[in-house]
Amino acid sequence: MENLTCPSCGAALPVRDPGLPYSTCAYCQTLVRRGAGKVEAIGTVATLPADVSPIQIGTTVDRDGIAATVVGRVRWGWSDGSWNEWFLRAADGRAFWLGEAMGMYMLTSEYPAVTTVPAIQNFAQGNPMARDCTVKAGGKWLTASDIKEAECLGSEGDLPFPALPGRTMTNADFRNAAGDALSVQRDADGTTAWLGVWSDLAGLKPGNLRQIEGWTMPKALA
Amino acid sequence: MTGARAVTCPSCGGSIEIRAVGYTVTLACRYCGSLLDVANEDVRLITAYRRAAKNFAIMPGARGTLFDVEWEVIGALRRRSGDAVWQEFLLFNPYSGYRWLVAADGEWQFGTMLLDRPEEDGRSVSWRGQHYVLDDNAEIETVMVIGEFYWRAARGDKVQGATFANGREQLSRETSADEVTWTQLIPITAEWVSEAFTVEQRHMPRPPRPDLTEGFRKAPGVAEGDLGNMFLVALAALLLILAVQVLLSGPQVCADGRATVDVGGATTIHRIGTVEVRRPWQFVTITVDSDSFTNRWVDLDYSLVNRQTQQSVDAYGLVEFYTGTDSDGPWSEGSHQAETLFSRVPRGTYDVFVDVGAHGWPSDPVPGTVDPQNPWGHTDTVALWFRSCTGGFSWGMFWLMAALLFSVPGLIFWWRHQD
Repeated sequence: MENLTCPSCGAALPVRDPGLPYSTCAYCQTLVRRGAGKVEAIGTVATLPADVSPIQIGTTVDRDGIAATVVGRVRWGWSDGSWNEWFLRAADGRAFWLGEAMGMYMLTSEYPAVTTVPAIQNFAQGNPMARDCTVKAGGKWLTASDIKEAECLGSEGDLPFPALPGRTMTNADFRNAAGDALSVQRDADGTTAWLGVWSDLAGLKPGNLRQIEGWTMPKALA
Repeated sequence: MTGARAVTCPSCGGSIEIRAVGYTVTLACRYCGSLLDVANEDVRLITAYRRAAKNFAIMPGARGTLFDVEWEVIGALRRRSGDAVWQEFLLFNPYSGYRWLVAADGEWQFGTMLLDRPEEDGRSVSWRGQHYVLDDNAEIETVMVIGEFYWRAARGDKVQGATFANGREQLSRETSADEVTWTQLIPITAEWVSEAFTVEQRHMPRPPRPDLTEGFRKAPGVAEGDLGNMFLVALAALLLILAVQVLLSGPQVCADGRATVDVGGATTIHRIGTVEVRRPWQFVTITVDSDSFTNRWVDLDYSLVNRQTQQSVDAYGLVEFYTGTDSDGPWSEGSHQAETLFSRVPRGTYDVFVDVGAHGWPSDPVPGTVDPQNPWGHTDTVALWFRSCTGGFSWGMFWLMAALLFSVPGLIFWWRHQD
């Protein structure tokens, strides 16, 4: 796969992650599905609302042995706000999500084992998740602290699913005193679980951060 | 892509910038104070207000550097718990996230929200190896908001706030219906804050008022520490009175005179000088000195007679001296000198007269008899020398003043030390 062009506007369509089937044209917001040597337009994503996130496509993180690069983003909205989820791919092929909210970050990798826990199975079957529900994942106990119904507000870059307007999901965040994080997401395609840590930006040892107009990048992060 | 997003207030039409674009969900209009929902592209009015609060120590929009990071104050809250009122400022930097500046009791704290939560154990918690003890637990109400927030901030918001302290460092736990948030608060000097931001001192939350009963205890003359001051004030007043009395006593002009009287004889009148009083009112002092008699007393009736009006001012004096022997041995009593003070003599020239009567003790000697101890002596007489002066110092007045001035502190001193 090389030198792909957008079937809608003809602009170059960079392939940041060949393993991902969906990519959004940066110029016309056409969502493209790639595969088997062909490229097809399957819809138009919403223009991302402006934000002052310091993360951008191409930003790198390096934490707890995870060295990965941001290849795509989905912005989710709920009744009282919105947040970014950045998709990252490591050189060894592992995938990560970097959730961004309130100026803090949740870096997670997929942890399918926890989906067999009865409380998560119950949630996967479409039932509500109880707040204060406690599960064990990766040897750690975590408690559900935040359950949100979210709707896709826009997307960019390469993603594992088609982030078209109207796509919805239910997200349950778990945390514990040590700063561990578990995110369980249920959507039309099924339920996935992601385990990781809460961190501030500096703790991610980021590289290639976005230059935000009107702000000087702190020396420690530049 | 610019850092800020401009929106129009649907209530007042004012143009407002959102600084933490993408994070901010609630905005309190800087012009009218109306609460706006800015979570989505369309700006929605939540609650309309007519006037925005201005009296915050730091206004949103201010930028400053603390701990090597540039922060923008994007929101401000005035909060209350019981009688305590304080201000909290939301700081934002897109690369460093959110922090808090808290101004309470004239002091500042810098707050960081915790990602790893303290382990709770009854009335204390532990966090990163440190132990924090419960200090305060009360309901906190947000009474005023201005600027932008990443949650649904509103006037009237109530949370349960608990503070745990380890020295001057605090952990604050706020519990609302939806969530529990933990914040680490460290003290930061007012000078440091003032270097970073323009601080309106007149809008700073005031330090707590002192305990009123303590105020009563400190009232002048009641607190222990003021007793010494009371004595000092009394002494100073007395010295002032002394100075005034000395000043008022002069000028001093004197006239001398003398008289000799027979003991046991009829009283005789003598003119012993002339004095001139030049002030509207003045003291006149007459001192008398006698030869060294024993067992005699001399009555002295003075009269100052005004030459122009012939009106007289009268006063009485006495010299007496006695000796004897009793079971305790020899004794003596009295003096050969005496002083008489005329306290209010009007302006004028006065002839000074004295009506003198000398007497023996226990009885007058019989005229013509010979004193067995002094067979060759003349008739018994007493010689008197007078000095009449304008001016004079009333020691009686002085000591009366002293007694009055020292009576109150003296009484307190006695009352305190009677045990």
